[in-house]
Amino acid sequence: MRSSVISRINIAAKNRDDIFLITGDAGFGVLDAYQKEFPGRFLNLGIAEQNTVSFASGLALTGYKVFIYNIVPFVLFRCFEQVRNDICYQNLPVTLIGIGSGVTYAPQGVTHYSVEDIAIARTLPNLVILSPGDPYEAELCAEYAINSKRPVYIRIAKSGEAKIHCRRPLSITKPITINKEGEVAVLFHGSVAIEAYNAVQELNKKIKLISVPMLNPVDFRALKQELRGAHTVVTVEEHFVDGGLGSIIAEWIIKEKTGLKLIKLGIRNEFIHAVKNNAGMRQEYGISAQAIKNILLKACRHA
Amino acid sequence: MRLPNINKLKKISNQARKLIIEVACCSKSAHVGSSLSCVDILVSLYFHQLHISKKDWDKRDIFVLSKAHAAMAFYATLALKGLIKPDILKAYLQNDGSLPAHLDKFTSKTIEASAGSLGHGFNMALGMAYGYKLKNDRRKVFTLIGDGESQEGSVWEGALFASKLGIDNFIAIMDHNDLQGYGRPTQICHFEPILDKWRAFGWDARRVDGHDFSSIISAFNSPNRSKPKIIIADTCKGKGVTFMEDQMKWHYFIVTEELKKKALECLCKNI
Repeated sequence: MRSSVISRINIAAKNRDDIFLITGDAGFGVLDAYQKEFPGRFLNLGIAEQNTVSFASGLALTGYKVFIYNIVPFVLFRCFEQVRNDICYQNLPVTLIGIGSGVTYAPQGVTHYSVEDIAIARTLPNLVILSPGDPYEAELCAEYAINSKRPVYIRIAKSGEAKIHCRRPLSITKPITINKEGEVAVLFHGSVAIEAYNAVQELNKKIKLISVPMLNPVDFRALKQELRGAHTVVTVEEHFVDGGLGSIIAEWIIKEKTGLKLIKLGIRNEFIHAVKNNAGMRQEYGISAQAIKNILLKACRHA
Repeated sequence: MRLPNINKLKKISNQARKLIIEVACCSKSAHVGSSLSCVDILVSLYFHQLHISKKDWDKRDIFVLSKAHAAMAFYATLALKGLIKPDILKAYLQNDGSLPAHLDKFTSKTIEASAGSLGHGFNMALGMAYGYKLKNDRRKVFTLIGDGESQEGSVWEGALFASKLGIDNFIAIMDHNDLQGYGRPTQICHFEPILDKWRAFGWDARRVDGHDFSSIISAFNSPNRSKPKIIIADTCKGKGVTFMEDQMKWHYFIVTEELKKKALECLCKNI
């Protein structure tokens, strides 16, 4: 998904001279083409996240459309106040591209995970939050960000993610339905998409499967439409189970009194000490295709 | 370099200080001392140095107040310059007024950047200077930071990178009043040798008396040999009001009606 995003930015930069890409010392092999083609609109501001975000805001104040590329902790956690005050408070056209969503980088350790980023990003007014589920969605997220005049946060995993759509969806601003039928609906975002997708495909049951790449704002009207006929919603995310999509849906269910039953799947809110790779972590925290399948079987039985 | 009219600037600074005292009393605002220390710098900028006019707005020089707790001094200067309306200033900090104690960009187009938390404005201003440089836009970018503010790591992150960027259109001024919230920068940390520190980071660093208009203005205009520039301006917190001068409590204290009278008497004597 990294290259889907960056290649869209490359294409846009050919036609627009206001596009500027900043990295905080990340992007080996990913940003090379951009850097070569647009050396005047590229900066590696080094391992200095606070300056990077404020500096980017300054560039945006002079009319540039700025993208900041780094792993999630270094575009959002280390420099949270710069994101809050300089980008979001001023409503500037800066896009944060955060790599290594969830436990993509397991077992690098907690410092390199981003399992609370959506919970944090949701507190920031003006910030659009995008979490694409496959390379098609990633491309659309990049396009959205390129055309946006507002702060955007795109959370992506790394490279080599499988496609969950057979063709490019029309838009990422609304929930994207893959399977229409069913009384149980699976909602998901991000690279864990493939686990949800596989779980539903393997079960061969009527289960709604809906990707929600735009987490702020969520188009609830469209979601309500897509959820027609469902009595149970299962949210799946590679993020803390409290604070992300599951919480967004829970708040909505209460506010709208939809009466939907909600099962939230995600990473237990705790510091992760387990040493496992990404697949192992998904098993550990119950967001592997197998674990999702088990939950869905129960949910369908209770129907 | 245009020669400054020192008498005129002195008069304007005195007016600005009086205005700060009036506004501080009316709004019961803190940070009076922090505002008084940088008045002469702001007046040098807005009444001599900056190319800024409503007619030619898109070509204006940029000023970012990074030590934004001195917003009162900034607002007073803008009001005297005619860039914000007197009634807007009068409503500073009042319920339903538009000017908060720290800067909100959306309150007026003359406020280039929102600021308040220290170590942000300096770095945004660096980005702005680089942005204009890339666009071959010849305008200059100025920012005012505090000496306490320079304890922020972000300031040094910016300082370390800036000299690589060829931003000779960037001028930072440090209001070195040697009093922060709960102590003196020169005692809290290893502040000196401050010029050497910036020079070691590749900056053109100079030191001036921050209440001497001709020194301030000549430092603004000294050639900086393709480096970013920082001017360490030695100032006095509470400058101009004898009983506030170099007093930490005037980071916090409120100007009562009685103190206002005393303060204005001091300022009338000064001119």
